[in-house]
Amino acid sequence: MTESSNNGVGPNVPLDRRDPATGQAPGPVDPALEAIDPDRGRPANVIATRGLSLRFGDKTILSGIDMLFPRGTITALIGPTGSGKSTFLRTLNRMNDKVSGFRYGGDVLLDDESIWASHQDLLALRRRVGMLFQRPNPFPMSIRDNVVAGVKAHRIAKGKQLDVVAEERLRQVGLWDAAKDRLGDSPFRLSGGQQQLLCLARALAVGPEVLLLDEPTSSLDPISTENVEAMLKSLAPALTLIVVTHNLGQARRVSHHTMFFYDGALVEHGPTEVLFEHPREDQTERYVTGRMG
Amino acid sequence: MAKEVTALPSPRRRHLANWLFFRVGSMLALLLVVGPVLWVVVTVVANAAPHWKWSVLTTTTQGTSGGLENAVLGTLLLLLGVLVIAGVIGVAGGIYLAELVGTKANGKPRGGVFRAATEVLSGVPSIVLGYVGFTALVVGLHWQLSLLPAWIVLSVMVVPYIARGTETALRQVPTVYREGAEALGMPLGYGLRKVVLRSAIPGVVTSLLIALAISAGETAPLLYTAGWSVDNPSFSLLHKQVGYLTYPVWEFWDYPSKQAHYLSFDAALLLVVIVLILLVTARLIVARTQRHAESRR
Repeated sequence: MTESSNNGVGPNVPLDRRDPATGQAPGPVDPALEAIDPDRGRPANVIATRGLSLRFGDKTILSGIDMLFPRGTITALIGPTGSGKSTFLRTLNRMNDKVSGFRYGGDVLLDDESIWASHQDLLALRRRVGMLFQRPNPFPMSIRDNVVAGVKAHRIAKGKQLDVVAEERLRQVGLWDAAKDRLGDSPFRLSGGQQQLLCLARALAVGPEVLLLDEPTSSLDPISTENVEAMLKSLAPALTLIVVTHNLGQARRVSHHTMFFYDGALVEHGPTEVLFEHPREDQTERYVTGRMG
Repeated sequence: MAKEVTALPSPRRRHLANWLFFRVGSMLALLLVVGPVLWVVVTVVANAAPHWKWSVLTTTTQGTSGGLENAVLGTLLLLLGVLVIAGVIGVAGGIYLAELVGTKANGKPRGGVFRAATEVLSGVPSIVLGYVGFTALVVGLHWQLSLLPAWIVLSVMVVPYIARGTETALRQVPTVYREGAEALGMPLGYGLRKVVLRSAIPGVVTSLLIALAISAGETAPLLYTAGWSVDNPSFSLLHKQVGYLTYPVWEFWDYPSKQAHYLSFDAALLLVVIVLILLVTARLIVARTQRHAESRR
């Protein structure tokens, strides 16, 4: 492993989205231009929802959500429990499709293409739109194998390259020093915060464009939370992050945009500062000032 | 002594009652389980060890004397077949029931008919299965007493255990593993193999072990399907009878000669040893595959 490899840390270094096995950029993009601006020629909004409605059986969870997620930004989804924000998040990489009774109306566009379009490959979609869960969920395999689990599944790299990928990604999430001497160990010996960073490394290893985070720090202690938050902020220019959080402070600290859900509706959304300082809606104000949980 | 106990203040008396009930009760239960095991092992060893000759393993049976090479090889061959046939069908059935059938509208898992059928099958006495195998395969298809009908009947007998064991083990795998695999874009089968099945291995291996132990100890269905042979097994699937260890245990005991009795106990000892080896192998497999499991941090 040489130091010259791009480990993607830092605000101006785009995350390497090229295929580590072949060095080829995905799609018909000029590699030279890609290196300067990986997002060249792509729609400004990586994800857009058009009148999105979500139902489980007869129960409507959300209706009529129109929302744009600009590339390279962090959006926080806030709102009380049961307001539909997690369901919304899980819809974006089609994790709800298999849940019995799930129905959707409207559409979700990823780079201007419907995620439900018949030519969309679900597995490729999930490679582009990764996810981090509330509880750290390392797989029951060694730390190294965890990092490269997705890489192996998608056959992005193999053999010795896997070690390179593992080191690169562990460095990227700041876990290399803690893990380098125990790559063959069980991941469950790591602390909760480290486990979550490991899961982040695993999600980043397949080179996603969007990362969905479902309360990523709610099971972590304050110091680990700080680590994960710093990591998320550093990922933002290269990746688009969408974070569900119950922690209003976290939403303020890390996000550029905030969406406030209440009772199955998107009540208000806008730049985080504006939404917290000058909310338009009464409900929003009551929620962000802590007068309504 | 009894007076002292009644004189105890009531919390302490309650503690004593709890202690008696749970501690003593569980010790008794433990003894009830461990006792018979020790008894069997001690009886078998005590009766087999004094006249044990290693030549038993290298000579075939001659009438009711000689060795048991034919029976040992026959039993191992039977177990191998059961492992392959019942193992594949049982594990696949368990995976189907746990992962692929989906749920009904009311949230209950589908596949009730299949599940009920395996329950009924596991309740059928083995001698009945043996008889069915005899009439259908040995006589009906003119296969005669031979290896294949024995494999099939034993497999039919143990498939329910393997399928249910696999299903239960898979259902206990945390949802977060499945979701994690899905969210990484792993194909269903790939995620199953690499992530989900891996943590279900203890349950799957245990069910395979039980299936093999049951097969090794069966007599009735084998009498009906494998017959008995004093020759080492050949690899012909049909028309040729096969020896196995439970036959001398069951049959030679009734013979008047001392040699026959000796062989009977030797066979019992070998069966115990085979089951023990299976057990240790299973433990090793579990330990090896679970070294990264969440439960062993």
